Amino acid sequence: MNDSILIIGAGVAGINAALNAASYGKKVYLLDDTPSIGGMMARLDKTFPTNDCSICIEAPQMYEVDNHPNIEILSNTEVRRLKKGDGDFKVRLVQKARFIDEEKCTGCGACMEACPVSIPDEMDGRIFGNRKLVFMPFPQAVPNVAVIDPDCRFGKMRENGACVGGCVVDCSQCRECPIALCVKACQKEGKDAVRLWQSNKNINVDVKSIIVATGIMDDIPAEGLHGYKVCENVITNMEFERLMNAGGPTAGQIIRPSDRKHAHKIAWLQCAGRGLEHGVPYCSKVCCMIAAKQTIITKEHDASVETSIFYNDLKAYGKGMWGFYEKAAEAGIRYVRARPYDVFEDPETKNVFIRYEELETGELRKEEFDLLVLSTGLVPSDRNKRLAKILKIDLDKFGFFKEEDPIMAPLETKVKGIYLCGGATGPIDISESVVQATAASMKAVL
Amino acid sequence: MSDEEIRVGVFVCDCGSNIAAFVNVPEVVEYSKGLKNVVFADEGKWSCSVDALASMQESIKEHNLNRVVIASCTPRTHEPVFKATVKEAGLNPYLLEFVSIREQVSWVHMKEPEAATEKAKDLVKMGVAKAILLEEGEEIRLPVGTDCMIIGGGLAGMTAALNIAEQGFNAYIVEKQPKLGGILNRVSNVSHDHIDMPAADIVKAKTDLIEANPNITAYTSTEIESVNGYIGNYKVVLNSNGETVNLDISTVIVATGMREIEPEGMFQYGNDPRVVTQLQLEERLRNSEFGIRNSESEIKNVVIINCVGSKNEERGCCAIGCPVSVKNALAIKKVNKDINVHILYRDLSMVKDEQIHLQAAKAAGVKFLRFPDDRYPEVTKEDGNLSVSVNDLLLGSEYKLRPDLLVLTVGFTGDETIDAIRGHLKISTNKEGFFQERHIKLGPLDFPADGVALCGCAKNPKTLKETCEEGIGAAMRAAIPMKNGFIEAEGIVADIDLTNCDSCSICWKRCPYGAIKVNENKEPEVIKALCKGCGLCAADCPKECITIVHYSDEQLLAQVEAALEENPEKKILGFVCHWCALGGVDMAGVSRLQYPPNGRLIRVMCSARVPTKLIERAYELGAAGVLVAGCEFPTCHYITGNYACESRIKRAKKRLAKKGYNADNLWLTWCSAADGPKFANVMRDMVKELGLG
Repeated sequence: MNDSILIIGAGVAGINAALNAASYGKKVYLLDDTPSIGGMMARLDKTFPTNDCSICIEAPQMYEVDNHPNIEILSNTEVRRLKKGDGDFKVRLVQKARFIDEEKCTGCGACMEACPVSIPDEMDGRIFGNRKLVFMPFPQAVPNVAVIDPDCRFGKMRENGACVGGCVVDCSQCRECPIALCVKACQKEGKDAVRLWQSNKNINVDVKSIIVATGIMDDIPAEGLHGYKVCENVITNMEFERLMNAGGPTAGQIIRPSDRKHAHKIAWLQCAGRGLEHGVPYCSKVCCMIAAKQTIITKEHDASVETSIFYNDLKAYGKGMWGFYEKAAEAGIRYVRARPYDVFEDPETKNVFIRYEELETGELRKEEFDLLVLSTGLVPSDRNKRLAKILKIDLDKFGFFKEEDPIMAPLETKVKGIYLCGGATGPIDISESVVQATAASMKAVL
Repeated sequence: MSDEEIRVGVFVCDCGSNIAAFVNVPEVVEYSKGLKNVVFADEGKWSCSVDALASMQESIKEHNLNRVVIASCTPRTHEPVFKATVKEAGLNPYLLEFVSIREQVSWVHMKEPEAATEKAKDLVKMGVAKAILLEEGEEIRLPVGTDCMIIGGGLAGMTAALNIAEQGFNAYIVEKQPKLGGILNRVSNVSHDHIDMPAADIVKAKTDLIEANPNITAYTSTEIESVNGYIGNYKVVLNSNGETVNLDISTVIVATGMREIEPEGMFQYGNDPRVVTQLQLEERLRNSEFGIRNSESEIKNVVIINCVGSKNEERGCCAIGCPVSVKNALAIKKVNKDINVHILYRDLSMVKDEQIHLQAAKAAGVKFLRFPDDRYPEVTKEDGNLSVSVNDLLLGSEYKLRPDLLVLTVGFTGDETIDAIRGHLKISTNKEGFFQERHIKLGPLDFPADGVALCGCAKNPKTLKETCEEGIGAAMRAAIPMKNGFIEAEGIVADIDLTNCDSCSICWKRCPYGAIKVNENKEPEVIKALCKGCGLCAADCPKECITIVHYSDEQLLAQVEAALEENPEKKILGFVCHWCALGGVDMAGVSRLQYPPNGRLIRVMCSARVPTKLIERAYELGAAGVLVAGCEFPTCHYITGNYACESRIKRAKKRLAKKGYNADNLWLTWCSAADGPKFANVMRDMVKELGLG
């Protein structure tokens, strides 16, 4: 009987579910709709409450997945259809073209060097992150294979200076693109791995159970919320995380978007976007610790930087977290119980002003900062709705996947054989994700 | 093997132009051919491509190679591929040595092709020197049976047992109380999302399943007398209702739960029967005794104070107090909606569905009052009545409340058996009285020792749902070796030669995994399947009795000597740990950070592997400087290896100074796998400080 397992989402939850199920002896298809496994954790600098380096602890797991004989990684792949058979699921997957022959590419980077077009990166675009049209998702990516921006073809990037700019041949007729610099560079390396006319690939798998580990997203504030996208030096906590990451776009330099100068006075605004009509209605629980972490690391980079955290309720909910908060307080980080009213910028210096009510005194104050970090919450993935429909499972009122009986049968959905773990269930931290992933893998192998 | 002629083959990869454009690869190949024991050397355009791997296998067979050196990218990503290749060619994979000339050479010395080529040659020479001394290794297996002992019969333990039993394995629950259920036996109701359930129903449902399952044996009123052994081989002695029970066990799940801390002397607790803890309130609600107070009048005013004894220098957040206080306030309102309930709190954050309860409580008329962190409410007795004065942070004014029931939301600590169990299983606890897991992020259900899993409130306080999840997860962690029937360790393990051993105890006390056991003659023995190969014991052994297979002193020494054979005064000898420091080196490479080419790096699994004598040897040979690089604190793949390294380097510096060397030339750095810039800077700084630039 077929007893393999499909895991949808290859962040830290999916990876841990895969490693457990595979070590148990089951065949695992580990699917992710992005070009690399690793998820959100691969982009973080440090993890609270120990300040463990995120990629240092995740990369060994990613390599283990890559080398595990029982795990097949399906990157850049989505679920299209699901048919429930007799005790199993027949799943139609589609692997989106990455325009690179995955077997041939060695991740050498020659194509990326050759590519003349640099555009803002999806994640790090607001903080100096650029990528080429052919790129590696991040240095430790697994599989370590490049991917080409589909917009590069059909001359869509011509105005950005794409190398096919002068070609007069109709792309859809030609389907060769011998003049593309990436193609040439790859051929020069002797690999010939670029496949600009690669098409999407259908894959069918039969599995006994499915684990939904699609993760969570950081909330992108509405334009204008606390000056976001209106004031240049207002960024989100995720953007700040990338800024302080030695492997990020600025190699760990904490500099301002407006002038690339080092920020010396930084404020964090907790619960940004929470409780608003279109905001996050609940406490996401991790943001307080993220702010503590980011301030501690900022102080480690440069002890002279002044850091203030404006907050209402402090959430230090788990093991070692209160001690972590105390560590932040000891490091000279200023905690202010406050309610923000307004954020505006100095048109010349681009410094950010915050007007807030101090809760302890009730006084209204105004303060100037070099950089403002909005601690936004965690929200359901925007792809949950579509996936829920395909899998015929329910979402809760917030848009997370719903457990039928969270008390007596946690992580189970209304469809027998489909289980949940990690950010798919709600706001969660890494260790809780690993716990749920391990539990979901237990249910999936039984 | 030792009698056999050593025949080394060297394969140098161009990596397209990634290496070949900056390193003169043909020159490196020619140079390799002249090295001792090298009988074959070849250049490959892409050594990792399928055709190149096939031709490598042919060369191994054709030239009778019994050692292979690959000079290419980085072992962190490609070692498994090449290991599999030599294995298919009929060679033991432990006879392969990996040399990194892309990340460590061509990508970081792009403007100095000559120096880069020289460095590549040196690295190959070091690799060959080590390869000559390599010995066959093998994965080591230890059989594991299918009997699991679960310590603690609360919700976590019961859930774990049910999952173990469902796989057909045997579960033995050991519970010190006369009945299963743990702390839930005192709780009134449990709520999550829109579901609200009496705790007794949950316990009954689980207990019924356990009683019906032939694979589960529940020993109630039972305590553990002793536990000896390790995974696959535990001998357990129980005292069950006065009778001795012997069990042979393969794996253990620790699920001993938690207990509420008595707030003795705080807020009139112990002084007045109207002051109770949250759990005592639960008991009243559970037994429908709520309205009855000393058979006097009905309760009209309830005040709940949160964060009692928590969030201070001694203890952290109790983790569940906020939702529990809201849940119980709602329960009181359900008994009688006219009862006034005040919750006095510091912070109140309700995650996801807990928000629903908070809104319900507010709608039901529960009053919330926030007091400042440093001004807890004061409770006094006036004319026999309780009086609570509280400073409302938001209004800035003082309030007086006169409760006829005062509920204190106190924190929790581990069960009182925690110290005994820690001793039995040789596992660790933290200062708040809970067990300490292997890794707070990625090893939440494990202990460092294989075969012992952890779950539930024995780890830290958590909700019922989280407890169930951990119980299921811990069952998975314990089940994996039972399902496979064995655990397997990589061939990189410690080996003790007892000839010079004087039973000093350092090795078995310092092993982070409890992999070194000591017999009745005080002789240490390595349980190889438990050994992770960090090499801490070998570096610390004063008598040098311990060898680490694949990273022996002789092999490392050969690398040191090869590295420093020529122009040692220009070279920095580096020891880098495989997990983080080498990750940082690789990151510098991928990022094409250019730094001076003076370094000659030797890979060790852990910075704790580096013995003082090798550092001294590098000094003797005239190295300009020595660098030891390990994981950033607190990260360490081997739990505490970097701490051990740090203290050893301090000792090494003293010794070097005593011998008249300049101890400042020994550098120690902690480098994360993301921190390419840091590694590059260290190399630049060393070159500058040592006057090499």
